[in-house]
Amino acid sequence: MTSYSPPATATAAGIADAPHRSHRILAVSRLQLSNRMSVFGVPWMILGFIFLVNLVIWWIIYQSVADPADRTDALEGLQYSGASFYFFVYMLVLGVLSMAQYFPLALGLSATRREFWFGTSLVFVLLSVLYGVGFTVLATIERATEGWGFGGRMFTVVYFGGWDAPWYTRLLLFTSAFLFFFFVGAAIATIYQRWRVNGMLAFFATLGVVLVGAAVLITLGSGWPAVGAWFASTGAAGVVAWGLIPTAVAAVVGYLVLRRATPRG
Amino acid sequence: MTAVVEARGLTKRYKNVTAVDHVDLTIEENTIYGLLGRNGAGKTTLMQLLTGQEFAGSGSIRVFGEDPVENARVLSRISFIKESQKYPEDFTARHVLRSAPWFFPEWDAEFADRLVADFRLPLKTRIKKLSRGQLSAIGVITGLASRAPLTFFDEPYLGLDAVARQIFYDRLLEDYAEHPRTVVLSTHLIDEVGDLLEHVIVIDDGAIVIDQDAESLRGSASTIAGTAAAVDAFTAGREVLHSERLGGLATATVGRLSAAERAEASAAGLEVGPVSLQQLVVRTTAGSVPAATSADASTSFDKEQSA
Amino acid sequence: MDDSRPIFVQIAELIENDILAGTLPEESQVPSTNEFAAFHRINPATAGKGVNLLVDEGILYKRRGIGMFVATGARERLVSKRREQFQTQYVRPLVTEAAKLGISGAALVDMIREENDA
Repeated sequence: MTSYSPPATATAAGIADAPHRSHRILAVSRLQLSNRMSVFGVPWMILGFIFLVNLVIWWIIYQSVADPADRTDALEGLQYSGASFYFFVYMLVLGVLSMAQYFPLALGLSATRREFWFGTSLVFVLLSVLYGVGFTVLATIERATEGWGFGGRMFTVVYFGGWDAPWYTRLLLFTSAFLFFFFVGAAIATIYQRWRVNGMLAFFATLGVVLVGAAVLITLGSGWPAVGAWFASTGAAGVVAWGLIPTAVAAVVGYLVLRRATPRG
Repeated sequence: MTAVVEARGLTKRYKNVTAVDHVDLTIEENTIYGLLGRNGAGKTTLMQLLTGQEFAGSGSIRVFGEDPVENARVLSRISFIKESQKYPEDFTARHVLRSAPWFFPEWDAEFADRLVADFRLPLKTRIKKLSRGQLSAIGVITGLASRAPLTFFDEPYLGLDAVARQIFYDRLLEDYAEHPRTVVLSTHLIDEVGDLLEHVIVIDDGAIVIDQDAESLRGSASTIAGTAAAVDAFTAGREVLHSERLGGLATATVGRLSAAERAEASAAGLEVGPVSLQQLVVRTTAGSVPAATSADASTSFDKEQSA
Repeated sequence: MDDSRPIFVQIAELIENDILAGTLPEESQVPSTNEFAAFHRINPATAGKGVNLLVDEGILYKRRGIGMFVATGARERLVSKRREQFQTQYVRPLVTEAAKLGISGAALVDMIREENDA
C-alpha cells in the first residue's frame, strides 16, 4: 500500500529476542545510583558532621574529667552512644526515596515492577556492604587510637559488638543493620505507592495499635523483665541477627505490595 | 498489516467510575494513531492498561501477542511518555537521557543530542527548576529517541510553544519515515496533528465512539448553512450530527455528501462547508454536555488544553 | 490541506498541477513519499496513497530501487482529464452564482470574453 522503505527494526509484530533479564535489573540498579552525591556523598557528609560534633563533646568530657577512674567511667558511658543513629535514619530515608522517586521513573522507562524491586534490592545490598566495610574500618581505627585520642566511642558502641568484637562480627552487624533500615524504609514506601495516603494512615495506625497493644500485654503480664532478659541473653550480635528476620519480611512484603502498584502523576 | 495491540472487552472500574468500558481495540503495526477524547474520557487509563502500568478489571490485552503486565519482552519494546511523568528531585535532564538507553534497545543517542539542541533543553539544570515546556521536552526527546516499536505520547506538549510543537511534529514525521513504528498520540490539539494521523480513535466516557481511517473520516461530514427553511428541507430524512439556529438562519452538520448532493445544496441556496477533524470529534463527544452549552462545545474543548 | 477532502486526493492533485505546469517534466523523478510527507507535514502513508493513486492512473510509474517517475504522455492525459472536469468544477458553479446575482447568460459570456482579452 505504501512505497516507503520497509521497517528497519520490527519486521514482525511478534517478539524476536527476549531482552536479557539481568541486564534490565542492572539498568534499574544503575538508575538508582544515577545521582552519586545523594547515595555516596551526603551520607558521609552526615557522618562527618556527627563525628565532628562528637569529637568536640569527647574533648570537653576529656578536659573536664581529669581523674583516671572517672575517665574510665565516662568511657563506659560512651559505649551506649547513639551518635551514628542519624546515619542509619538517613539510610531509612534513602530506602523511602528509592521507592517514592524512582518507582514512577523506572516504570516510565518501561521497567517491570519485578526488575525494579530486584535492581533496587541489589543496590541496598551493595550499599549496606559498602557502608558496613566503612564502619568496620572506622571501628578498627577507633579501637587502635583508643577512641580518637579522647576515649570517644562511636563505632565500637555496645549495639555493634562493643570494644572487643572481631572485625567480621562488626562487618556482619553493621551490614545487617543497614539492610534493615533500607528494606524497612522501602517497604513502608511501597504502601504509599500502592494505596497512597489512606494506606499510610492505615499502616501507621495499625503499627501504633500493635506497639501499644504489645506494650500493654507485656505490662499486664509483668513480662518486661523477661523482655529485658531476652535482650541481655541474646546479646547485641544476636539482636541484630534476629533483625534479619524483619528485614527479610520487609523485602518480601515490599515486593508483593509493589507488584500491584501503579505509578500516578 | 499485523496487529501490535489487541484488546477485547477491556474494562477498568475505579470506585464509582468506569474509566474504560468494554473496549475492543486493534492497533496495527507501523501506523500513527490519534487517540482523541475529552479530559477524563479514559485515554490515559487505556494507555496505562496497554502498557501494563494499570491492571485490567476484565477483558484481555495482547501486546506483541503477549500480556504486557510485568512482561519485560513486551515492555522493552514500548515507550510510554506521559505528561505527568515524575522525576527524582535531584535529577537533571542529563540524568534522564543517560539512563534511558539502558532500557530502550533501539535508543539513538545522536538523535537525542540533536533533539536536545532543537528544543534548547538545558541539560545541567535540575528538573524541578525547568519550565513546564522544558519538562515536556524531556519526555518528547525520550519518546522519539527511544524508537520503541510501540510509542505512546500522552499529551506530551504541555507548556511547549507553537514552535516547539512544530519541531516535535516534524521530527516525529521524519524519524517515523525512516524508522517506521507504531505511534499512539493522545492529544487535545486535534487540528494541529490531524494531518499526521493515519488512524483516529475517539474515546468518550470510557467507550470507543470512532475507530476509523483518518482519510475516510476526513470529509465524512459537512456543514450546511442558510435559511432555516432551506436547511430543514435539505436535512429532512438525513442524520444530523449537530445543528444551531440564529433567528431565521440555521446551520447543520450532516454526514458525507456526494458531488450531486453538494450541487443540490448549492442550488437550494445553501453554503456547504467542511468539518474539521476537531469539530467532528467535538460534535461526536459533546453529547454528554447539556444542550444549552453545546454551541460552546468547541471553545470549552479548547480551554481544556490549558487546564 | 483543506478539511473537506481526503489529503491523498489533494496530494495527487498537487503533483498533477506540477506536471501540468511543467515543473515536473515527463520522465523526470518525483520526490519520494517521505519528502512529500515532510514537506506537507502529513502522514507518509497518506502521501504514499496519493502517489499510488497516480501510479494506478498511469501518470507516474515506479522504477524498482530508484523511485517514482512521470510517465511519457502523462501531461496530455492530465490535460484531457482536467478538461472533462472543467465543466462541472468551474463552469457550473459560475453559472449558478451568476444566476443568483441576476447576471444574464449573454452578460456572462461578455464578461468572460472581456476577461479573456485582457
